[in-house]
Amino acid sequence: MRREDETDETSVFRRVVLKNASPYHYMKICLVLDDESTKLSAVDLKLFILTGLKNLFGEVGAAISFDLLKYDEDTLSGLLRVPSRSLVKLWSSLTLLGFYQNQACAFRVLQVSPYLLSLTGNSRELKLD
Amino acid sequence: MTTDLDQNPRSLLVSERSSFRDLKNRISSQVEQLHLNYKVSLLLPEYSFDRSVPRTRIDEDNCVSLTPKGHLTLSLDKDSFEVLGVEGKPSRFNHRVKKRFVVSVDLTDSCMAPGGRGYLRLLAGLKSRLRLKMDFLLSHHPGGGASLQTLLSRHDWSEHRPEVSRHTLTHLSCPALLTSDLLSCDPHSFLEWLGAAHAHISCGNTSSSFLSSLVCPEPKTALSRALSVSVCGLLLPQDIHRLLQQIRVYLEESHLESWACLTVHGFVDSPVSWGANEHGVLRGGENFYSLLMFHDDVYYLHQATGAHDTCPP
Repeated sequence: MRREDETDETSVFRRVVLKNASPYHYMKICLVLDDESTKLSAVDLKLFILTGLKNLFGEVGAAISFDLLKYDEDTLSGLLRVPSRSLVKLWSSLTLLGFYQNQACAFRVLQVSPYLLSLTGNSRELKLD
Repeated sequence: MTTDLDQNPRSLLVSERSSFRDLKNRISSQVEQLHLNYKVSLLLPEYSFDRSVPRTRIDEDNCVSLTPKGHLTLSLDKDSFEVLGVEGKPSRFNHRVKKRFVVSVDLTDSCMAPGGRGYLRLLAGLKSRLRLKMDFLLSHHPGGGASLQTLLSRHDWSEHRPEVSRHTLTHLSCPALLTSDLLSCDPHSFLEWLGAAHAHISCGNTSSSFLSSLVCPEPKTALSRALSVSVCGLLLPQDIHRLLQQIRVYLEESHLESWACLTVHGFVDSPVSWGANEHGVLRGGENFYSLLMFHDDVYYLHQATGAHDTCPP
Protein backbone atom coordinates (compact mmCIF):
# COMPACT_ATOMS: atom_id res chain seq x y z
CA MET A 1 0.00 0.00 0.00
CA ARG A 2 2.43 2.60 -1.20
CA ARG A 3 1.55 5.77 -2.99
CA GLU A 4 3.95 8.19 -4.62
CA ASP A 5 2.37 11.59 -4.10
CA GLU A 6 4.69 13.74 -6.08
CA THR A 7 7.88 13.10 -7.94
CA ASP A 8 10.13 15.67 -9.43
CA GLU A 9 13.14 14.45 -11.35
CA THR A 10 15.07 17.69 -10.92
CA SER A 11 14.81 18.09 -7.16
CA VAL A 12 15.49 15.73 -4.31
CA PHE A 13 11.90 16.04 -3.13
CA ARG A 14 10.07 12.80 -2.63
CA ARG A 15 7.02 12.02 -0.54
CA VAL A 16 5.77 8.56 0.27
CA VAL A 17 2.66 7.81 2.32
CA LEU A 18 2.71 4.43 4.02
CA LYS A 19 -0.61 3.20 5.32
CA ASN A 20 -0.82 0.27 7.72
CA ALA A 21 2.64 -0.76 6.57
CA SER A 22 4.22 -1.19 9.97
CA PRO A 23 5.58 -4.75 10.22
CA TYR A 24 5.65 -4.73 14.01
CA HIS A 25 3.76 -3.31 16.96
CA TYR A 26 5.41 -2.40 20.25
CA MET A 27 3.86 -2.71 23.69
CA LYS A 28 4.94 -1.25 26.97
CA ILE A 29 3.74 -3.62 29.67
CA CYS A 30 3.99 -3.98 33.41
CA LEU A 31 3.32 -7.11 35.46
CA VAL A 32 1.52 -6.60 38.77
CA LEU A 33 1.93 -9.45 41.26
CA ASP A 34 0.09 -10.07 44.51
CA ASP A 35 3.32 -10.69 46.37
CA GLU A 36 5.53 -7.76 45.43
CA SER A 37 8.72 -9.45 46.60
CA THR A 38 8.54 -12.08 43.86
CA LYS A 39 11.50 -11.88 41.51
CA LEU A 40 11.13 -12.57 37.84
CA SER A 41 13.98 -12.66 35.36
CA ALA A 42 13.63 -11.67 31.71
CA VAL A 43 13.68 -15.34 30.67
CA ASP A 44 10.98 -16.16 33.25
CA LEU A 45 8.79 -13.39 31.92
CA LYS A 46 9.14 -14.46 28.32
CA LEU A 47 8.39 -18.09 29.22
CA PHE A 48 5.36 -16.97 31.23
CA ILE A 49 3.95 -15.00 28.29
CA LEU A 50 4.67 -17.92 25.95
CA THR A 51 2.73 -20.24 28.27
CA GLY A 52 -0.22 -17.87 28.14
CA LEU A 53 -0.12 -17.79 24.35
CA LYS A 54 0.02 -21.57 24.19
CA ASN A 55 -2.86 -21.99 26.64
CA LEU A 56 -5.11 -19.65 24.71
CA PHE A 57 -4.19 -20.29 21.08
CA GLY A 58 -2.43 -23.68 21.21
CA GLU A 59 0.54 -24.35 18.97
CA VAL A 60 -0.42 -21.41 16.73
CA GLY A 61 -0.05 -19.11 19.70
CA ALA A 62 3.19 -20.70 20.86
CA ALA A 63 4.64 -20.10 17.41
CA ILE A 64 4.15 -16.31 17.57
CA SER A 65 7.62 -14.83 17.51
CA PHE A 66 7.50 -11.86 19.84
CA ASP A 67 10.57 -10.22 21.37
CA LEU A 68 11.24 -8.90 24.83
CA LEU A 69 13.26 -5.84 23.87
CA LYS A 70 13.84 -4.40 27.29
CA TYR A 71 13.04 -5.50 30.81
CA ASP A 72 13.44 -3.96 34.22
CA GLU A 73 13.46 -6.56 37.00
CA ASP A 74 12.75 -4.02 39.73
CA THR A 75 9.56 -2.63 38.28
CA LEU A 76 8.62 -5.80 36.33
CA SER A 77 8.02 -3.66 33.27
CA GLY A 78 9.23 -4.20 29.76
CA LEU A 79 8.90 -3.52 26.06
CA LEU A 80 7.57 -6.16 23.69
CA ARG A 81 7.77 -6.31 19.92
CA VAL A 82 5.26 -8.42 18.05
CA PRO A 83 4.41 -8.82 14.35
CA SER A 84 1.40 -6.57 13.65
CA ARG A 85 -0.84 -9.45 12.66
CA SER A 86 -0.24 -11.19 16.00
CA LEU A 87 -0.85 -8.15 18.20
CA VAL A 88 -4.44 -8.99 19.08
CA LYS A 89 -3.50 -12.58 19.98
CA LEU A 90 -0.65 -11.47 22.24
CA TRP A 91 -2.71 -8.75 23.89
CA SER A 92 -5.64 -11.06 24.59
CA SER A 93 -3.43 -13.73 26.10
CA LEU A 94 -1.74 -11.12 28.32
CA THR A 95 -5.16 -10.03 29.52
CA LEU A 96 -6.15 -13.58 30.39
CA LEU A 97 -2.96 -14.40 32.29
CA GLY A 98 -4.24 -14.25 35.86
CA PHE A 99 -1.91 -16.48 37.85
CA TYR A 100 1.85 -16.72 38.17
CA GLN A 101 2.97 -19.69 40.28
CA ASN A 102 -0.36 -19.82 42.12
CA GLN A 103 -0.44 -16.14 42.97
CA ALA A 104 -2.80 -13.65 41.38
CA CYS A 105 -1.23 -11.39 38.80
CA ALA A 106 -2.22 -9.00 36.03
CA PHE A 107 -0.53 -7.47 33.04
CA ARG A 108 -1.03 -3.74 32.60
CA VAL A 109 -0.64 -2.65 28.98
CA LEU A 110 0.64 0.91 29.32
CA GLN A 111 1.10 1.89 25.69
CA VAL A 112 0.84 0.25 22.29
CA SER A 113 2.17 1.73 19.09
CA PRO A 114 3.32 0.74 15.60
CA TYR A 115 6.46 2.83 16.28
CA LEU A 116 9.08 2.01 18.90
CA LEU A 117 10.04 5.67 18.82
CA SER A 118 6.69 6.79 20.16
CA LEU A 119 7.13 4.63 23.28
CA THR A 120 10.15 6.76 24.16
CA GLY A 121 8.13 9.98 24.28
CA ASN A 122 4.92 9.39 26.20
CA SER A 123 3.63 12.64 27.66
CA ARG A 124 1.62 10.71 30.25
CA GLU A 125 4.94 10.09 31.99
CA LEU A 126 5.61 13.83 32.35
CA LYS A 127 6.34 14.84 35.93
CA LEU A 128 6.36 18.51 36.79
CA ASP A 129 8.90 19.33 39.48
CA MET B 1 -12.52 -14.88 12.90
CA THR B 2 -8.85 -15.25 12.09
CA THR B 3 -8.89 -12.24 9.77
CA ASP B 4 -10.44 -10.11 12.51
CA LEU B 5 -7.73 -11.08 14.94
CA ASP B 6 -5.07 -10.14 12.41
CA GLN B 7 -6.37 -6.62 11.86
CA ASN B 8 -5.15 -3.49 13.54
CA PRO B 9 -6.36 0.09 13.62
CA ARG B 10 -4.97 2.24 10.83
CA SER B 11 -1.49 3.68 11.13
CA LEU B 12 -0.01 6.31 8.89
CA LEU B 13 3.58 7.20 8.19
CA VAL B 14 4.54 9.95 5.79
CA SER B 15 8.12 9.83 4.67
CA GLU B 16 9.56 12.78 2.86
CA ARG B 17 12.94 13.67 1.42
CA SER B 18 13.86 17.21 0.54
CA SER B 19 16.60 19.76 1.00
CA PHE B 20 16.89 22.95 3.01
CA ARG B 21 18.23 24.49 -0.20
CA ASP B 22 15.08 23.57 -2.10
CA LEU B 23 13.10 26.82 -2.25
CA LYS B 24 9.85 24.90 -2.07
CA ASN B 25 10.73 22.95 1.06
CA ARG B 26 7.94 23.07 3.60
CA ILE B 27 9.86 22.25 6.75
CA SER B 28 9.06 25.58 8.45
CA SER B 29 5.33 25.24 7.95
CA GLN B 30 5.45 21.58 8.97
CA VAL B 31 7.29 22.37 12.20
CA GLU B 32 4.87 25.24 12.76
CA GLN B 33 1.81 23.01 12.57
CA LEU B 34 2.51 20.75 15.50
CA HIS B 35 1.88 23.17 18.33
CA LEU B 36 1.77 21.07 21.45
CA ASN B 37 5.18 19.46 21.60
CA TYR B 38 6.06 17.36 24.57
CA LYS B 39 9.55 16.06 23.97
CA VAL B 40 12.45 16.69 21.66
CA SER B 41 15.16 14.07 21.28
CA LEU B 42 18.37 14.56 19.40
CA LEU B 43 20.83 11.92 18.30
CA LEU B 44 24.29 13.01 17.26
CA PRO B 45 26.87 10.47 16.12
CA GLU B 46 30.53 10.68 17.08
CA TYR B 47 29.78 13.31 19.66
CA SER B 48 30.14 13.20 23.40
CA PHE B 49 29.56 15.80 26.02
CA ASP B 50 32.30 17.55 27.92
CA ARG B 51 30.54 19.85 29.99
CA SER B 52 1.97 17.54 39.19
CA VAL B 53 0.91 17.64 35.79
CA PRO B 54 -2.67 18.01 34.99
CA ARG B 55 -3.61 14.36 34.90
CA THR B 56 -5.94 14.81 31.98
CA ARG B 57 -6.48 11.90 29.63
CA ILE B 58 -8.21 12.65 26.40
CA ASP B 59 -9.92 9.28 26.25
CA GLU B 60 -11.37 9.70 29.77
CA ASP B 61 -11.54 13.37 30.70
CA ASN B 62 -12.49 16.70 29.21
CA CYS B 63 -9.51 18.31 27.57
CA VAL B 64 -8.94 21.79 26.17
CA SER B 65 -6.25 23.25 23.93
CA LEU B 66 -5.59 26.73 22.59
CA THR B 67 -3.16 27.21 19.71
CA PRO B 68 -1.25 30.43 19.00
CA LYS B 69 -3.53 31.14 16.06
CA GLY B 70 -6.46 31.50 18.43
CA HIS B 71 -8.04 28.16 17.80
CA LEU B 72 -9.78 26.80 20.89
CA THR B 73 -10.60 23.09 20.89
CA LEU B 74 -12.64 21.41 23.58
CA SER B 75 -12.78 17.63 23.60
CA LEU B 76 -15.74 16.79 25.83
CA ASP B 77 -17.66 13.74 26.99
CA LYS B 78 -21.32 13.54 25.98
CA ASP B 79 -22.78 14.94 29.20
CA SER B 80 -20.48 17.96 29.33
CA PHE B 81 -21.08 18.63 25.64
CA GLU B 82 -24.84 18.68 26.09
CA VAL B 83 -24.63 20.89 29.17
CA LEU B 84 -22.32 23.36 27.40
CA GLY B 85 -24.83 23.87 24.58
CA VAL B 86 -22.38 25.01 21.93
CA GLU B 87 -22.22 23.61 18.43
CA GLY B 88 -19.76 20.76 17.95
CA LYS B 89 -19.32 17.50 16.13
CA PRO B 90 -18.85 13.88 17.17
CA SER B 91 -15.25 12.83 17.69
CA ARG B 92 -13.61 10.66 15.04
CA PHE B 93 -12.49 8.39 17.85
CA ASN B 94 -16.01 7.26 18.75
CA HIS B 95 -16.78 3.62 18.23
CA ARG B 96 -20.44 2.90 17.45
CA VAL B 97 -21.83 4.95 20.36
CA LYS B 98 -21.17 8.69 20.20
CA LYS B 99 -19.62 9.32 23.58
CA ARG B 100 -17.19 12.14 22.82
CA PHE B 101 -17.69 15.44 21.05
CA VAL B 102 -15.32 18.10 19.79
CA VAL B 103 -16.11 21.81 19.91
CA SER B 104 -13.85 23.97 17.75
CA VAL B 105 -13.95 27.71 18.19
CA ASP B 106 -12.01 30.26 16.20
CA LEU B 107 -11.38 33.00 18.75
CA THR B 108 -10.32 35.44 16.06
CA ASP B 109 -13.81 35.38 14.54
CA SER B 110 -15.74 38.64 14.92
CA CYS B 111 -18.57 37.08 16.93
CA MET B 112 -16.01 35.83 19.46
CA ALA B 113 -14.78 39.32 20.33
CA PRO B 114 -15.41 40.13 24.02
CA GLY B 115 -19.06 41.11 24.31
CA GLY B 116 -19.97 39.43 21.01
CA ARG B 117 -22.84 36.98 20.64
CA GLY B 118 -20.71 33.83 20.36
CA TYR B 119 -18.40 35.00 23.12
CA LEU B 120 -21.23 35.53 25.61
CA ARG B 121 -22.83 32.22 24.73
CA LEU B 122 -19.59 30.26 25.18
CA LEU B 123 -18.75 32.11 28.38
CA ALA B 124 -22.19 31.46 29.84
CA GLY B 125 -21.89 27.79 28.93
CA LEU B 126 -18.43 27.43 30.46
CA LYS B 127 -18.97 29.54 33.57
CA SER B 128 -22.55 29.00 34.67
CA ARG B 129 -23.71 25.77 33.06
CA LEU B 130 -20.69 23.50 32.77
CA ARG B 131 -18.51 25.10 35.46
CA LEU B 132 -15.48 23.50 33.89
CA LYS B 133 -12.28 23.75 35.90
CA MET B 134 -9.02 22.85 34.21
CA ASP B 135 -5.31 22.98 34.68
CA PHE B 136 -3.42 24.53 31.79
CA LEU B 137 0.15 24.21 30.63
CA LEU B 138 1.20 27.54 29.16
CA SER B 139 4.30 28.55 27.31
CA HIS B 140 5.36 31.97 26.12
CA HIS B 141 7.90 33.49 23.75
CA PRO B 142 11.05 34.92 25.28
CA GLY B 143 10.03 38.33 26.61
CA GLY B 144 6.34 37.59 26.24
CA GLY B 145 5.89 36.87 29.94
CA ALA B 146 4.65 40.37 30.79
CA SER B 147 1.42 39.99 28.87
CA LEU B 148 0.69 36.79 30.79
CA GLN B 149 1.10 38.44 34.20
CA THR B 150 -2.41 39.94 34.28
CA LEU B 151 -3.92 36.57 33.44
CA LEU B 152 -1.77 34.65 35.90
CA SER B 153 -2.41 37.07 38.75
CA ARG B 154 -5.99 35.83 38.90
CA HIS B 155 -5.06 32.14 39.17
CA ASP B 156 -2.83 29.75 41.07
CA TRP B 157 0.20 28.99 39.02
CA SER B 158 3.71 27.62 39.24
CA GLU B 159 6.66 27.81 36.89
CA HIS B 160 8.37 24.71 35.53
CA ARG B 161 11.52 24.46 33.48
CA PRO B 162 11.93 21.93 30.67
CA GLU B 163 13.75 18.86 31.85
CA VAL B 164 16.95 18.03 29.95
CA SER B 165 18.58 14.63 30.01
CA ARG B 166 21.73 13.50 28.23
CA HIS B 167 23.16 10.07 27.56
CA THR B 168 26.32 9.15 25.78
CA LEU B 169 25.78 5.93 23.89
CA THR B 170 28.82 3.82 23.24
CA HIS B 171 29.37 1.08 20.67
CA LEU B 172 26.13 1.83 18.92
CA SER B 173 25.47 -0.13 15.76
CA CYS B 174 24.00 2.08 13.10
CA PRO B 175 22.66 1.59 9.55
CA ALA B 176 25.65 2.17 7.28
CA LEU B 177 23.90 3.92 4.47
CA LEU B 178 22.79 6.98 6.37
CA THR B 179 23.80 9.28 3.55
CA SER B 180 21.77 11.91 1.84
CA ASP B 181 21.58 10.37 -1.61
CA LEU B 182 20.59 6.89 -0.59
CA LEU B 183 18.70 5.78 2.43
CA SER B 184 18.57 2.11 1.82
CA CYS B 185 16.66 0.88 4.80
CA ASP B 186 12.93 1.44 4.75
CA PRO B 187 11.33 4.08 7.01
CA HIS B 188 9.92 1.59 9.48
CA SER B 189 13.19 -0.18 10.17
CA PHE B 190 14.97 3.15 10.40
CA LEU B 191 12.44 4.41 12.97
CA GLU B 192 12.72 1.13 14.85
CA TRP B 193 16.48 1.48 15.04
CA LEU B 194 16.14 5.12 16.18
CA GLY B 195 13.60 4.15 18.81
CA ALA B 196 15.93 1.42 20.07
CA ALA B 197 18.78 3.93 20.31
CA HIS B 198 16.69 6.40 22.32
CA ALA B 199 15.24 3.69 24.55
CA HIS B 200 18.73 2.24 25.16
CA ILE B 201 17.79 -1.11 23.69
CA SER B 202 20.64 -3.22 22.43
CA CYS B 203 20.53 -4.25 18.77
CA GLY B 204 23.32 -6.76 19.23
CA ASN B 205 21.15 -9.85 19.00
CA THR B 206 21.25 -12.78 16.67
CA SER B 207 18.25 -14.26 14.96
CA SER B 208 18.41 -17.22 17.31
CA SER B 209 18.42 -15.23 20.57
CA PHE B 210 15.64 -16.35 22.88
CA LEU B 211 14.71 -13.01 24.39
CA SER B 212 14.92 -10.70 21.42
CA SER B 213 15.80 -10.91 17.76
CA LEU B 214 15.97 -7.16 17.22
CA VAL B 215 18.89 -6.33 14.97
CA CYS B 216 20.22 -3.19 13.36
CA PRO B 217 19.20 -2.89 9.68
CA GLU B 218 21.88 -4.22 7.33
CA PRO B 219 24.37 -3.09 6.16
CA LYS B 220 25.56 -1.59 9.39
CA THR B 221 28.53 0.11 10.94
CA ALA B 222 29.50 0.69 14.54
CA LEU B 223 29.71 4.12 16.10
CA SER B 224 32.21 4.36 18.92
CA ARG B 225 30.01 6.92 20.61
CA ALA B 226 26.92 9.03 20.05
CA LEU B 227 25.03 11.58 22.06
CA SER B 228 21.34 11.30 22.85
CA VAL B 229 19.80 14.44 24.35
CA SER B 230 16.16 14.95 25.19
CA VAL B 231 14.13 17.86 26.48
CA CYS B 232 10.68 17.41 28.04
CA GLY B 233 8.07 20.08 28.66
CA LEU B 234 5.68 22.23 26.65
CA LEU B 235 7.92 23.26 23.78
CA LEU B 236 7.02 25.83 21.17
CA PRO B 237 7.58 25.40 17.42
CA GLN B 238 9.81 28.50 17.67
CA ASP B 239 12.10 26.64 20.10
CA ILE B 240 12.36 23.81 17.59
CA HIS B 241 13.15 26.26 14.77
CA ARG B 242 16.01 27.68 16.79
CA LEU B 243 17.31 24.22 17.58
CA LEU B 244 17.10 23.27 13.89
CA GLN B 245 19.20 26.28 12.90
CA GLN B 246 21.83 25.41 15.49
CA ILE B 247 22.03 21.82 14.31
CA ARG B 248 22.45 23.00 10.71
CA VAL B 249 25.33 25.24 11.74
CA TYR B 250 26.89 22.34 13.63
CA LEU B 251 26.52 20.03 10.61
CA GLU B 252 28.09 22.59 8.27
CA GLU B 253 31.10 22.93 10.53
CA SER B 254 31.58 19.24 11.10
CA HIS B 255 33.24 16.72 8.84
CA LEU B 256 31.71 15.04 5.82
CA GLU B 257 29.17 12.28 6.14
CA SER B 258 27.91 13.66 9.38
CA TRP B 259 24.25 13.61 10.27
CA ALA B 260 21.91 14.46 13.11
CA CYS B 261 18.48 13.19 13.93
CA LEU B 262 15.85 15.28 15.67
CA THR B 263 12.62 13.74 16.91
CA VAL B 264 9.70 15.80 18.19
CA HIS B 265 6.90 14.08 20.09
CA GLY B 266 3.52 15.78 20.40
CA PHE B 267 1.44 15.45 23.55
CA VAL B 268 -0.40 12.13 23.59
CA ASP B 269 -3.49 13.78 25.09
CA SER B 270 -3.50 16.83 22.88
CA PRO B 271 -6.95 17.45 21.32
CA VAL B 272 -5.29 18.67 18.11
CA SER B 273 -2.26 17.64 16.08
CA TRP B 274 -0.95 18.89 12.75
CA GLY B 275 -2.70 22.25 12.64
CA ALA B 276 -6.19 22.13 14.05
CA ASN B 277 -6.96 18.53 13.11
CA GLU B 278 -8.48 16.29 15.72
CA HIS B 279 -6.22 13.95 17.62
CA GLY B 280 -7.01 11.11 19.97
CA VAL B 281 -5.27 8.29 21.79
CA LEU B 282 -7.06 5.02 21.09
CA ARG B 283 -3.97 2.93 21.95
CA GLY B 284 -0.74 4.83 21.48
CA GLY B 285 -1.70 8.40 20.67
CA GLU B 286 1.39 8.67 18.50
CA ASN B 287 1.95 11.99 16.83
CA PHE B 288 5.60 12.70 16.21
CA TYR B 289 8.00 13.63 13.51
CA SER B 290 11.58 12.72 13.03
CA LEU B 291 13.99 14.77 10.98
CA LEU B 292 17.21 13.19 9.75
CA MET B 293 19.56 15.91 8.52
CA PHE B 294 22.80 15.76 6.58
CA HIS B 295 25.64 18.19 6.09
CA ASP B 296 24.62 18.87 2.47
CA ASP B 297 21.24 20.28 3.59
CA VAL B 298 19.29 17.24 2.47
CA TYR B 299 16.84 15.95 5.03
CA TYR B 300 14.43 13.09 5.55
CA LEU B 301 11.24 13.84 7.41
CA HIS B 302 9.11 11.07 8.85
CA GLN B 303 5.75 12.10 10.22
CA ALA B 304 3.60 9.57 12.04
CA THR B 305 0.06 9.69 13.33
CA GLY B 306 -2.19 7.17 14.95
CA ALA B 307 -5.56 5.77 14.02
CA HIS B 308 -8.25 8.21 12.81
CA ASP B 309 -5.90 11.21 12.73
CA THR B 310 -5.79 13.06 9.43
CA CYS B 311 -2.77 12.78 7.17
CA PRO B 312 0.11 15.10 8.21
CA PRO B 313 0.78 18.09 5.90
